[in-house]
Amino acid sequence: MAAMSAVFYREGKIRITNVTFIFWDLFYPLAYMLVFGVAVSRALGAPVSTSAVDYNSFFLAGVLGMASFGIASNTSWSFFLDRDNGIFYEMLTYPLSRAEYLLGKVLFNLLIAVLQAGITIALGTLLLGIRIRLDLLPLLFLGVVGGMAGWFFFYAIFALKIRRNDLFNSVTSVFYFVFLFASSMFYPLEPLPAWFRTAALANPITWQVDLLRYSTIGLGEPRRIAVEAAAFAVFAVVSFTYAVRCLRQQE
Amino acid sequence: MSDFAIEVEKLVKVYHPRRQPPVRAVDGLSFNVTRGAIFGLLGPNGAGKTSTLRVLNTLSRPTGGRARLLGFDVVAQPVEVRRRISVVLQETAVEQFLSVRDNLLTYARFHGLDRVLARRRAAEVMERFHLSPEAERKVMDLSGGYRRRVQVAKVFMVQTPVMFLDEFSTGMDPILKRAVMGYLRDEARQGRTIVLTTQVLSEAEELCDDILIMNKGRQVARGDLHALKLLSEGVYEVVMTFDQLPESIQAELSRLAPLRMNINQNTIELALKAEEARVLELVSELARNRRVLRVEVSGASLEDIFVELTQGK
Repeated sequence: MAAMSAVFYREGKIRITNVTFIFWDLFYPLAYMLVFGVAVSRALGAPVSTSAVDYNSFFLAGVLGMASFGIASNTSWSFFLDRDNGIFYEMLTYPLSRAEYLLGKVLFNLLIAVLQAGITIALGTLLLGIRIRLDLLPLLFLGVVGGMAGWFFFYAIFALKIRRNDLFNSVTSVFYFVFLFASSMFYPLEPLPAWFRTAALANPITWQVDLLRYSTIGLGEPRRIAVEAAAFAVFAVVSFTYAVRCLRQQE
Repeated sequence: MSDFAIEVEKLVKVYHPRRQPPVRAVDGLSFNVTRGAIFGLLGPNGAGKTSTLRVLNTLSRPTGGRARLLGFDVVAQPVEVRRRISVVLQETAVEQFLSVRDNLLTYARFHGLDRVLARRRAAEVMERFHLSPEAERKVMDLSGGYRRRVQVAKVFMVQTPVMFLDEFSTGMDPILKRAVMGYLRDEARQGRTIVLTTQVLSEAEELCDDILIMNKGRQVARGDLHALKLLSEGVYEVVMTFDQLPESIQAELSRLAPLRMNINQNTIELALKAEEARVLELVSELARNRRVLRVEVSGASLEDIFVELTQGK
Protein backbone atom coordinates (compact mmCIF):
# COMPACT_ATOMS: atom_id res chain seq x y z
CA MET A 1 0.00 0.00 0.00
CA ALA A 2 2.85 2.38 0.88
CA ALA A 3 4.42 1.69 -2.50
CA MET A 4 1.18 2.45 -4.33
CA SER A 5 0.71 5.64 -2.35
CA ALA A 6 4.23 6.69 -3.39
CA VAL A 7 3.33 6.20 -7.06
CA PHE A 8 0.07 8.08 -6.44
CA TYR A 9 2.05 10.92 -4.83
CA ARG A 10 4.46 11.01 -7.75
CA GLU A 11 1.72 11.02 -10.39
CA GLY A 12 -0.12 13.73 -8.47
CA LYS A 13 3.01 15.88 -8.15
CA ILE A 14 3.66 15.67 -11.86
CA ARG A 15 0.07 16.28 -12.94
CA ILE A 16 -0.32 19.26 -10.59
CA THR A 17 2.51 21.01 -12.47
CA ASN A 18 0.18 21.19 -15.48
CA VAL A 19 -3.01 22.86 -14.27
CA THR A 20 -4.32 23.37 -17.82
CA PHE A 21 -4.19 19.65 -18.40
CA ILE A 22 -6.04 18.88 -15.18
CA PHE A 23 -8.64 21.55 -15.93
CA TRP A 24 -9.21 20.09 -19.40
CA ASP A 25 -9.34 16.55 -17.99
CA LEU A 26 -12.01 17.62 -15.51
CA PHE A 27 -14.18 19.68 -17.83
CA TYR A 28 -13.82 18.25 -21.31
CA PRO A 29 -16.64 15.69 -21.00
CA LEU A 30 -18.94 18.48 -19.98
CA ALA A 31 -17.70 20.67 -22.82
CA TYR A 32 -18.21 17.79 -25.23
CA MET A 33 -21.74 17.30 -23.96
CA LEU A 34 -22.58 20.99 -24.13
CA VAL A 35 -21.32 21.32 -27.70
CA PHE A 36 -21.74 17.99 -29.45
CA GLY A 37 -24.58 16.70 -27.27
CA VAL A 38 -26.70 19.82 -27.47
CA ALA A 39 -26.09 20.20 -31.21
CA VAL A 40 -27.09 16.63 -32.03
CA SER A 41 -30.01 16.81 -29.63
CA ARG A 42 -31.34 19.92 -31.41
CA ALA A 43 -30.63 18.49 -34.84
CA LEU A 44 -32.52 15.29 -34.08
CA GLY A 45 -35.24 17.14 -32.24
CA ALA A 46 -36.88 13.95 -31.06
CA PRO A 47 -36.33 11.16 -28.54
CA VAL A 48 -33.47 8.84 -29.46
CA SER A 49 -34.69 5.91 -31.53
CA THR A 50 -36.56 3.24 -29.60
CA SER A 51 -35.77 4.75 -26.21
CA ALA A 52 -37.94 7.52 -24.89
CA VAL A 53 -35.05 9.70 -23.73
CA ASP A 54 -33.61 12.84 -25.24
CA TYR A 55 -30.15 12.77 -26.77
CA ASN A 56 -28.47 14.68 -23.93
CA SER A 57 -29.60 12.08 -21.41
CA PHE A 58 -28.62 9.27 -23.76
CA PHE A 59 -25.23 10.80 -24.51
CA LEU A 60 -24.25 11.40 -20.86
CA ALA A 61 -23.10 7.79 -20.43
CA GLY A 62 -21.28 7.96 -23.78
CA VAL A 63 -19.38 11.05 -22.77
CA LEU A 64 -18.40 9.50 -19.42
CA GLY A 65 -17.18 6.37 -21.23
CA MET A 66 -15.26 8.50 -23.71
CA ALA A 67 -13.66 10.40 -20.83
CA SER A 68 -12.50 7.15 -19.16
CA PHE A 69 -11.06 6.08 -22.47
CA GLY A 70 -9.29 9.43 -22.94
CA ILE A 71 -7.74 9.52 -19.46
CA ALA A 72 -6.57 5.93 -19.87
CA SER A 73 -4.90 6.73 -23.17
CA ASN A 74 -3.18 9.86 -21.74
CA THR A 75 -1.99 7.97 -18.68
CA SER A 76 -0.48 5.17 -20.73
CA TRP A 77 1.26 7.72 -22.94
CA SER A 78 3.15 8.85 -19.84
CA PHE A 79 5.20 5.62 -20.10
CA PHE A 80 6.85 7.21 -23.15
CA LEU A 81 7.50 10.42 -21.26
CA ASP A 82 9.05 8.45 -18.41
CA ARG A 83 11.20 6.50 -20.85
CA ASP A 84 12.41 9.74 -22.46
CA ASN A 85 13.29 11.13 -19.04
CA GLY A 86 15.12 7.94 -18.15
CA ILE A 87 13.07 7.70 -14.97
CA PHE A 88 11.07 4.69 -16.19
CA TYR A 89 13.89 2.20 -15.66
CA GLU A 90 15.00 3.85 -12.42
CA MET A 91 11.47 3.48 -11.08
CA LEU A 92 11.61 -0.21 -11.86
CA THR A 93 14.42 -0.47 -9.28
CA TYR A 94 12.30 1.20 -6.57
CA PRO A 95 10.90 -0.99 -3.78
CA LEU A 96 7.59 -1.97 -5.35
CA SER A 97 6.25 -4.82 -7.40
CA ARG A 98 5.31 -4.37 -11.05
CA ALA A 99 1.62 -4.78 -10.14
CA GLU A 100 1.88 -2.06 -7.47
CA TYR A 101 3.55 0.20 -10.01
CA LEU A 102 0.66 -0.18 -12.46
CA LEU A 103 -2.03 0.14 -9.79
CA GLY A 104 -0.33 3.19 -8.26
CA LYS A 105 -0.11 4.80 -11.67
CA VAL A 106 -3.82 4.38 -12.24
CA LEU A 107 -4.85 5.61 -8.75
CA PHE A 108 -4.38 9.34 -9.29
CA ASN A 109 -6.19 9.12 -12.59
CA LEU A 110 -9.07 7.30 -10.95
CA LEU A 111 -9.43 10.29 -8.68
CA ILE A 112 -9.51 12.57 -11.72
CA ALA A 113 -12.07 10.28 -13.39
CA VAL A 114 -14.33 10.37 -10.32
CA LEU A 115 -14.12 14.17 -10.06
CA GLN A 116 -14.70 14.49 -13.77
CA ALA A 117 -17.77 12.25 -13.61
CA GLY A 118 -19.10 14.18 -10.60
CA ILE A 119 -18.73 17.53 -12.37
CA THR A 120 -20.24 16.25 -15.61
CA ILE A 121 -23.22 14.70 -13.89
CA ALA A 122 -23.87 17.67 -11.61
CA LEU A 123 -23.63 20.27 -14.35
CA GLY A 124 -25.42 18.04 -16.86
CA THR A 125 -28.32 17.83 -14.45
CA LEU A 126 -28.32 21.56 -13.77
CA LEU A 127 -27.72 22.87 -17.27
CA LEU A 128 -29.38 20.25 -19.45
CA GLY A 129 -32.07 18.97 -17.11
CA ILE A 130 -30.88 15.36 -17.28
CA ARG A 131 -32.67 13.22 -14.70
CA ILE A 132 -30.14 11.03 -12.93
CA ARG A 133 -31.00 7.82 -11.07
CA LEU A 134 -29.51 8.82 -7.72
CA ASP A 135 -30.09 5.34 -6.29
CA LEU A 136 -27.68 3.97 -8.92
CA LEU A 137 -24.89 6.53 -8.33
CA PRO A 138 -22.57 4.02 -6.58
CA LEU A 139 -22.88 1.74 -9.61
CA LEU A 140 -22.19 4.69 -11.87
CA PHE A 141 -18.94 5.54 -10.06
CA LEU A 142 -17.97 1.87 -10.09
CA GLY A 143 -18.48 1.91 -13.86
CA VAL A 144 -16.35 5.04 -14.23
CA VAL A 145 -13.53 3.77 -12.00
CA GLY A 146 -13.54 0.20 -13.32
CA GLY A 147 -13.80 1.44 -16.89
CA MET A 148 -10.91 3.85 -16.59
CA ALA A 149 -8.69 1.24 -14.91
CA GLY A 150 -9.60 -1.43 -17.47
CA TRP A 151 -8.81 0.83 -20.40
CA PHE A 152 -5.57 1.99 -18.81
CA PHE A 153 -4.37 -1.61 -18.38
CA PHE A 154 -5.36 -2.33 -21.96
CA TYR A 155 -3.49 0.71 -23.28
CA ALA A 156 -0.51 -0.01 -21.01
CA ILE A 157 0.08 -3.29 -22.87
CA PHE A 158 0.63 -1.37 -26.10
CA ALA A 159 2.59 1.45 -24.45
CA LEU A 160 4.96 -1.12 -22.94
CA LYS A 161 5.23 -3.30 -26.05
CA ILE A 162 5.70 -0.45 -28.52
CA ARG A 163 8.96 1.48 -28.21
CA ARG A 164 8.20 4.34 -30.62
CA ASN A 165 5.75 6.99 -29.49
CA ASP A 166 4.78 7.89 -33.07
CA LEU A 167 3.69 4.30 -33.62
CA PHE A 168 1.81 4.34 -30.33
CA ASN A 169 0.03 7.53 -31.42
CA SER A 170 -1.07 5.77 -34.62
CA VAL A 171 -2.34 2.82 -32.58
CA THR A 172 -4.34 5.08 -30.26
CA SER A 173 -5.86 6.90 -33.26
CA VAL A 174 -7.04 3.57 -34.67
CA PHE A 175 -8.36 2.56 -31.24
CA TYR A 176 -10.26 5.83 -30.90
CA PHE A 177 -11.88 5.32 -34.26
CA VAL A 178 -12.72 1.63 -33.87
CA PHE A 179 -13.68 1.50 -30.20
CA LEU A 180 -15.63 4.74 -29.98
CA PHE A 181 -17.58 4.58 -33.22
CA ALA A 182 -18.27 0.83 -33.29
CA SER A 183 -20.08 1.05 -29.96
CA SER A 184 -23.21 2.32 -28.29
CA MET A 185 -21.41 5.50 -27.24
CA PHE A 186 -22.96 7.95 -29.70
CA TYR A 187 -26.06 6.13 -30.93
CA PRO A 188 -28.40 3.32 -29.95
CA LEU A 189 -27.55 0.00 -31.60
CA GLU A 190 -31.08 -1.13 -32.47
CA PRO A 191 -31.46 0.67 -35.85
CA LEU A 192 -27.95 -0.27 -37.02
CA PRO A 193 -27.13 -3.03 -39.56
CA ALA A 194 -26.63 -6.51 -38.06
CA TRP A 195 -22.87 -6.64 -38.75
CA PHE A 196 -22.40 -3.26 -37.06
CA ARG A 197 -24.48 -4.34 -34.09
CA THR A 198 -22.47 -7.54 -33.73
CA ALA A 199 -19.20 -5.61 -33.82
CA ALA A 200 -20.50 -3.12 -31.28
CA LEU A 201 -21.71 -5.83 -28.93
CA ALA A 202 -18.23 -7.40 -28.97
CA ASN A 203 -16.67 -4.05 -28.07
CA PRO A 204 -15.74 -3.57 -24.38
CA ILE A 205 -16.63 0.11 -24.58
CA THR A 206 -20.22 -0.87 -25.36
CA TRP A 207 -20.18 -3.02 -22.20
CA GLN A 208 -18.93 -0.09 -20.14
CA VAL A 209 -21.20 2.54 -21.74
CA ASP A 210 -24.27 0.31 -21.36
CA LEU A 211 -23.53 -0.06 -17.65
CA LEU A 212 -23.03 3.71 -17.35
CA ARG A 213 -26.25 4.38 -19.25
CA TYR A 214 -28.18 2.06 -17.00
CA SER A 215 -26.69 3.64 -13.89
CA THR A 216 -27.26 7.24 -15.07
CA ILE A 217 -30.75 7.12 -16.55
CA GLY A 218 -31.87 3.53 -15.92
CA LEU A 219 -31.88 2.64 -19.64
CA GLY A 220 -31.22 -1.03 -20.45
CA GLU A 221 -32.18 -4.49 -19.30
CA PRO A 222 -30.56 -5.32 -15.93
CA ARG A 223 -29.67 -8.94 -16.84
CA ARG A 224 -27.88 -7.92 -20.02
CA ILE A 225 -26.12 -5.08 -18.19
CA ALA A 226 -24.90 -7.57 -15.56
CA VAL A 227 -23.47 -9.87 -18.26
CA GLU A 228 -21.76 -6.92 -19.96
CA ALA A 229 -20.34 -5.68 -16.64
CA ALA A 230 -18.95 -9.15 -15.90
CA ALA A 231 -17.44 -9.30 -19.40
CA PHE A 232 -15.79 -5.92 -18.83
CA ALA A 233 -14.39 -7.09 -15.48
CA VAL A 234 -12.82 -10.10 -17.23
CA PHE A 235 -11.43 -7.78 -19.92
CA ALA A 236 -9.90 -5.53 -17.21
CA VAL A 237 -8.38 -8.43 -15.24
CA VAL A 238 -6.89 -10.04 -18.36
CA SER A 239 -5.50 -6.67 -19.49
CA PHE A 240 -4.01 -6.04 -16.04
CA THR A 241 -2.38 -9.48 -15.92
CA TYR A 242 -0.89 -9.08 -19.36
CA ALA A 243 0.26 -5.50 -18.66
CA VAL A 244 2.09 -6.69 -15.52
CA ARG A 245 3.74 -9.37 -17.62
CA CYS A 246 4.82 -6.77 -20.19
CA LEU A 247 6.25 -4.64 -17.40
CA ARG A 248 8.24 -7.62 -16.11
CA GLN A 249 9.69 -8.07 -19.57
CA GLN A 250 11.02 -4.52 -19.80
CA GLU A 251 14.81 -4.72 -20.13
CA MET B 1 24.15 -14.42 7.84
CA SER B 2 26.58 -14.39 4.92
CA ASP B 3 29.54 -11.99 4.97
CA PHE B 4 28.73 -11.13 1.43
CA ALA B 5 26.38 -8.40 0.32
CA ILE B 6 26.27 -9.82 -3.18
CA GLU B 7 26.75 -13.40 -4.36
CA VAL B 8 26.81 -14.15 -8.07
CA GLU B 9 27.10 -17.70 -9.37
CA LYS B 10 27.66 -18.64 -13.02
CA LEU B 11 25.57 -15.71 -14.21
CA VAL B 12 24.58 -15.77 -17.87
CA LYS B 13 22.68 -13.10 -19.76
CA VAL B 14 21.85 -13.63 -23.41
CA TYR B 15 19.97 -11.04 -25.47
CA HIS B 16 18.03 -11.99 -28.56
CA PRO B 17 17.90 -8.94 -30.81
CA ARG B 18 15.41 -9.16 -33.66
CA ARG B 19 16.81 -10.59 -36.89
CA GLN B 20 20.28 -10.77 -35.37
CA PRO B 21 22.24 -13.55 -33.71
CA PRO B 22 21.94 -13.80 -29.90
CA VAL B 23 24.39 -11.74 -27.86
CA ARG B 24 25.96 -13.43 -24.83
CA ALA B 25 26.51 -10.29 -22.73
CA VAL B 26 27.40 -12.11 -19.51
CA ASP B 27 28.96 -15.53 -19.80
CA GLY B 28 29.19 -17.58 -16.61
CA LEU B 29 30.33 -14.82 -14.29
CA SER B 30 30.82 -15.64 -10.59
CA PHE B 31 31.89 -13.30 -7.81
CA ASN B 32 31.06 -12.20 -4.28
CA VAL B 33 31.14 -8.71 -2.82
CA THR B 34 31.97 -8.25 0.86
CA ARG B 35 29.65 -6.07 2.96
CA GLY B 36 30.88 -2.51 3.24
CA ALA B 37 33.24 -2.79 0.26
CA ILE B 38 33.53 -0.45 -2.68
CA PHE B 39 33.49 -2.86 -5.56
CA GLY B 40 34.45 -1.79 -9.06
CA LEU B 41 33.23 -3.58 -12.13
CA LEU B 42 35.50 -2.55 -14.97
CA GLY B 43 35.72 -3.45 -18.59
CA PRO B 44 35.68 -1.99 -22.08
CA ASN B 45 32.41 -1.09 -23.83
CA GLY B 46 30.26 -4.17 -24.31
CA ALA B 47 32.12 -6.16 -21.63
CA GLY B 48 28.87 -6.95 -19.82
CA LYS B 49 29.18 -4.58 -16.84
CA THR B 50 25.83 -2.86 -17.27
CA SER B 51 24.10 -6.18 -18.05
CA THR B 52 25.49 -7.60 -14.80
CA LEU B 53 24.35 -4.54 -12.89
CA ARG B 54 20.88 -4.69 -14.44
CA VAL B 55 20.46 -8.26 -13.25
CA LEU B 56 21.63 -7.32 -9.76
CA ASN B 57 19.21 -4.41 -9.52
CA THR B 58 16.29 -6.52 -10.83
CA LEU B 59 15.88 -4.65 -14.10
CA SER B 60 16.66 -7.71 -16.09
CA ARG B 61 16.27 -11.47 -15.54
CA PRO B 62 19.32 -13.66 -15.95
CA THR B 63 19.30 -16.31 -18.66
CA GLY B 64 21.22 -18.66 -16.37
CA GLY B 65 22.95 -18.84 -13.00
CA ARG B 66 21.82 -16.99 -9.93
CA ALA B 67 22.47 -13.82 -7.98
CA ARG B 68 21.63 -12.95 -4.38
CA LEU B 69 21.70 -9.62 -2.64
CA LEU B 70 21.95 -9.77 1.15
CA GLY B 71 20.65 -13.33 0.86
CA PHE B 72 17.66 -12.43 -1.35
CA ASP B 73 17.42 -13.97 -4.77
CA VAL B 74 17.11 -11.30 -7.47
CA VAL B 75 14.61 -13.36 -9.47
CA ALA B 76 12.54 -14.99 -6.73
CA GLN B 77 12.48 -12.03 -4.29
CA PRO B 78 12.84 -8.90 -6.42
CA VAL B 79 10.92 -6.56 -4.11
CA GLU B 80 13.07 -7.58 -1.11
CA VAL B 81 16.13 -6.82 -3.22
CA ARG B 82 14.72 -3.44 -4.33
CA ARG B 83 14.07 -2.49 -0.70
CA ARG B 84 17.80 -2.76 -0.07
CA ILE B 85 19.24 -0.97 -3.07
CA SER B 86 19.53 2.48 -4.54
CA VAL B 87 20.61 2.82 -8.12
CA VAL B 88 22.22 5.44 -10.34
CA LEU B 89 21.68 4.28 -13.90
CA GLN B 90 24.02 5.10 -16.73
CA GLU B 91 21.36 7.18 -18.49
CA THR B 92 20.16 10.38 -16.88
CA ALA B 93 17.02 9.60 -14.87
CA VAL B 94 15.17 12.52 -13.32
CA GLU B 95 11.64 13.82 -12.99
CA GLN B 96 11.90 16.65 -15.53
CA PHE B 97 8.67 18.39 -14.52
CA LEU B 98 9.45 18.44 -10.81
CA SER B 99 11.72 20.79 -8.90
CA VAL B 100 15.05 19.61 -7.55
CA ARG B 101 13.57 19.39 -4.05
CA ASP B 102 10.53 17.43 -5.25
CA ASN B 103 12.79 15.02 -7.11
CA LEU B 104 14.54 14.22 -3.83
CA LEU B 105 11.32 14.07 -1.82
CA THR B 106 9.61 11.80 -4.34
CA TYR B 107 12.56 9.43 -4.30
CA ALA B 108 12.54 9.41 -0.49
CA ARG B 109 8.82 8.67 -0.48
CA PHE B 110 9.35 5.55 -2.58
CA HIS B 111 11.90 4.37 -0.04
CA GLY B 112 9.50 4.93 2.84
CA LEU B 113 11.13 7.94 4.54
CA ASP B 114 8.74 9.95 6.67
CA ARG B 115 8.00 13.47 5.51
CA VAL B 116 9.92 15.41 8.18
CA LEU B 117 13.05 13.32 7.86
CA ALA B 118 12.83 13.48 4.07
CA ARG B 119 12.65 17.27 4.07
CA ARG B 120 15.59 17.54 6.45
CA ARG B 121 17.67 15.12 4.47
CA ALA B 122 16.76 16.83 1.18
CA ALA B 123 18.12 20.11 2.57
CA GLU B 124 21.37 18.39 3.63
CA VAL B 125 21.82 16.57 0.34
CA MET B 126 21.14 19.72 -1.70
CA GLU B 127 23.75 21.52 0.37
CA ARG B 128 26.32 18.78 -0.20
CA PHE B 129 25.65 18.72 -3.94
CA HIS B 130 25.55 22.53 -4.23
CA LEU B 131 21.96 22.30 -5.39
CA SER B 132 20.37 24.57 -2.75
CA PRO B 133 20.18 27.65 -5.01
CA GLU B 134 18.33 25.53 -7.58
CA ALA B 135 16.03 23.81 -5.06
CA GLU B 136 12.77 25.17 -6.46
CA ARG B 137 13.75 25.12 -10.13
CA LYS B 138 12.23 22.49 -12.36
CA VAL B 139 14.81 19.97 -13.46
CA MET B 140 13.83 20.46 -17.10
CA ASP B 141 15.26 23.99 -16.83
CA LEU B 142 18.66 22.80 -15.59
CA SER B 143 21.74 21.86 -17.62
CA GLY B 144 22.68 18.23 -18.28
CA GLY B 145 25.39 18.35 -15.62
CA TYR B 146 22.93 19.55 -12.99
CA ARG B 147 20.42 16.89 -13.95
CA ARG B 148 23.06 14.23 -13.42
CA ARG B 149 23.88 15.85 -10.09
CA VAL B 150 20.23 15.57 -9.03
CA GLN B 151 20.19 11.93 -10.10
CA VAL B 152 23.27 11.06 -8.05
CA ALA B 153 22.09 13.17 -5.10
CA LYS B 154 18.93 11.07 -4.84
CA VAL B 155 20.75 7.95 -3.69
CA PHE B 156 22.18 9.90 -0.77
CA MET B 157 18.63 10.56 0.46
CA VAL B 158 18.22 6.99 1.66
CA GLN B 159 20.25 4.53 3.69
CA THR B 160 19.85 1.38 1.61
CA PRO B 161 22.58 -1.15 2.47
CA VAL B 162 23.68 -1.46 -1.17
CA MET B 163 24.26 1.26 -3.76
CA PHE B 164 24.77 0.69 -7.48
CA LEU B 165 26.36 3.41 -9.56
CA ASP B 166 26.74 2.95 -13.29
CA GLU B 167 29.24 5.52 -14.62
CA PHE B 168 28.19 7.95 -11.89
CA SER B 169 30.65 10.70 -12.76
CA THR B 170 29.50 11.21 -16.36
CA GLY B 171 28.85 14.91 -16.87
CA MET B 172 30.12 15.93 -13.42
CA ASP B 173 32.67 18.66 -12.95
CA PRO B 174 35.98 17.54 -11.40
CA ILE B 175 35.41 19.34 -8.09
CA LEU B 176 32.02 17.78 -7.47
CA LYS B 177 33.28 14.42 -8.67
CA ARG B 178 36.03 14.52 -6.07
CA ALA B 179 33.51 15.47 -3.39
CA VAL B 180 31.15 12.65 -4.39
CA MET B 181 34.03 10.19 -4.23
CA GLY B 182 34.61 11.39 -0.68
CA TYR B 183 30.92 10.89 0.17
CA LEU B 184 31.04 7.38 -1.27
CA ARG B 185 34.04 6.54 0.91
CA ASP B 186 32.12 7.86 3.96
CA GLU B 187 29.11 5.71 3.07
CA ALA B 188 31.30 2.62 2.74
CA ARG B 189 32.90 3.37 6.11
CA GLN B 190 29.41 3.38 7.59
CA GLY B 191 28.87 -0.12 6.22
CA ARG B 192 27.11 0.50 2.92
CA THR B 193 28.23 -1.68 0.05
CA ILE B 194 28.92 0.23 -3.13
CA VAL B 195 29.09 -1.34 -6.55
CA LEU B 196 30.23 0.88 -9.35
CA THR B 197 31.14 0.66 -12.99
CA THR B 198 33.34 3.25 -14.57
CA GLN B 199 35.38 3.91 -17.67
CA VAL B 200 37.51 6.40 -15.72
CA LEU B 201 40.09 4.07 -14.31
CA SER B 202 41.64 6.66 -12.04
CA GLU B 203 38.29 6.77 -10.20
CA ALA B 204 38.33 3.02 -9.64
CA GLU B 205 42.00 3.20 -8.65
CA GLU B 206 41.21 5.82 -6.04
CA LEU B 207 37.91 4.42 -4.76
CA CYS B 208 37.68 0.67 -5.03
CA ASP B 209 38.75 -1.86 -2.40
CA ASP B 210 37.99 -4.67 -4.78
CA ILE B 211 38.03 -4.68 -8.56
CA LEU B 212 36.74 -7.12 -11.13
CA ILE B 213 37.84 -6.60 -14.69
CA MET B 214 35.61 -8.22 -17.25
CA ASN B 215 35.77 -8.64 -20.98
CA LYS B 216 33.29 -10.31 -23.34
CA GLY B 217 31.06 -11.23 -20.42
CA ARG B 218 33.76 -13.04 -18.45
CA GLN B 219 36.07 -12.22 -15.58
CA VAL B 220 39.63 -11.53 -16.70
CA ALA B 221 41.07 -10.38 -13.37
CA ARG B 222 39.95 -9.86 -9.80
CA GLY B 223 41.45 -8.43 -6.65
CA ASP B 224 42.43 -5.23 -4.91
CA LEU B 225 44.62 -2.71 -6.67
CA HIS B 226 47.85 -4.20 -5.31
CA ALA B 227 46.90 -7.71 -6.37
CA LEU B 228 46.01 -6.46 -9.84
CA LYS B 229 49.27 -4.57 -10.12
CA LEU B 230 51.13 -7.79 -9.41
CA LEU B 231 49.51 -9.22 -12.54
CA SER B 232 51.37 -6.61 -14.44
CA GLU B 233 54.75 -6.96 -12.82
CA GLY B 234 57.44 -5.59 -15.05
CA VAL B 235 55.22 -2.86 -16.49
CA TYR B 236 56.46 0.66 -15.80
CA GLU B 237 55.09 4.05 -16.55
CA VAL B 238 57.56 6.71 -17.64
CA VAL B 239 56.71 10.40 -17.87
CA MET B 240 59.32 12.81 -19.22
CA THR B 241 58.98 16.52 -19.93
CA PHE B 242 61.57 18.16 -22.18
CA ASP B 243 62.16 21.87 -22.60
CA GLN B 244 61.71 21.23 -26.31
CA LEU B 245 60.38 18.02 -27.79
CA PRO B 246 63.14 16.36 -29.84
CA GLU B 247 62.16 15.87 -33.49
CA SER B 248 63.27 12.25 -33.66
CA ILE B 249 61.55 11.26 -30.39
CA GLN B 250 58.56 9.49 -31.92
CA ALA B 251 60.75 7.14 -33.94
CA GLU B 252 62.99 6.52 -30.93
CA LEU B 253 60.02 5.70 -28.73
CA SER B 254 58.40 3.40 -31.28
CA ARG B 255 61.57 1.31 -31.32
CA LEU B 256 61.04 0.64 -27.61
CA ALA B 257 57.70 -1.08 -28.43
CA PRO B 258 55.76 0.61 -25.61
CA LEU B 259 52.46 -0.85 -24.41
CA ARG B 260 51.06 2.64 -24.53
CA MET B 261 52.48 5.93 -25.75
CA ASN B 262 51.14 9.43 -25.48
CA ILE B 263 52.83 12.66 -26.54
CA ASN B 264 51.32 15.88 -25.31
CA GLN B 265 53.21 19.09 -26.16
CA ASN B 266 56.62 18.61 -24.55
CA THR B 267 55.65 15.64 -22.39
CA ILE B 268 55.84 11.97 -23.28
CA GLU B 269 54.05 9.22 -21.37
CA LEU B 270 55.06 5.62 -21.93
CA ALA B 271 54.06 2.27 -20.53
CA LEU B 272 56.90 -0.21 -20.96
CA LYS B 273 57.22 -3.88 -20.14
CA ALA B 274 60.88 -4.48 -19.21
CA GLU B 275 63.27 -5.12 -16.33
CA GLU B 276 63.57 -2.18 -13.96
CA ALA B 277 67.27 -1.69 -14.80
CA ARG B 278 66.50 -1.68 -18.50
CA VAL B 279 63.76 0.94 -18.02
CA LEU B 280 66.19 3.23 -16.18
CA GLU B 281 68.76 2.69 -18.93
CA LEU B 282 66.18 3.69 -21.55
CA VAL B 283 65.29 6.82 -19.61
CA SER B 284 68.99 7.85 -19.49
CA GLU B 285 69.27 7.22 -23.23
CA LEU B 286 66.27 9.42 -23.94
CA ALA B 287 67.64 12.15 -21.67
CA ARG B 288 71.15 12.12 -23.18
CA ASN B 289 72.12 15.48 -24.72
CA ARG B 290 68.63 16.87 -24.05
CA ARG B 291 67.28 19.21 -21.42
CA VAL B 292 64.79 17.28 -19.31
CA LEU B 293 62.51 19.27 -16.98
CA ARG B 294 60.84 16.33 -15.27
CA VAL B 295 61.20 12.54 -15.07
CA GLU B 296 58.84 10.14 -13.35
CA VAL B 297 59.15 6.36 -13.33
CA SER B 298 56.42 4.42 -11.56
CA GLY B 299 54.76 1.02 -11.49
CA ALA B 300 51.91 0.19 -13.84
CA SER B 301 48.66 2.10 -13.46
CA LEU B 302 45.28 0.42 -13.43
CA GLU B 303 44.87 1.70 -16.96
CA ASP B 304 47.96 -0.23 -18.12
CA ILE B 305 46.71 -3.38 -16.44
CA PHE B 306 43.27 -2.87 -17.92
CA VAL B 307 44.63 -2.42 -21.44
CA GLU B 308 46.93 -5.40 -21.09
CA LEU B 309 44.21 -7.68 -19.78
CA THR B 310 41.37 -6.65 -22.03
CA GLN B 311 43.38 -6.35 -25.23
CA GLY B 312 45.45 -9.44 -24.60
CA LYS B 313 48.78 -7.64 -24.75
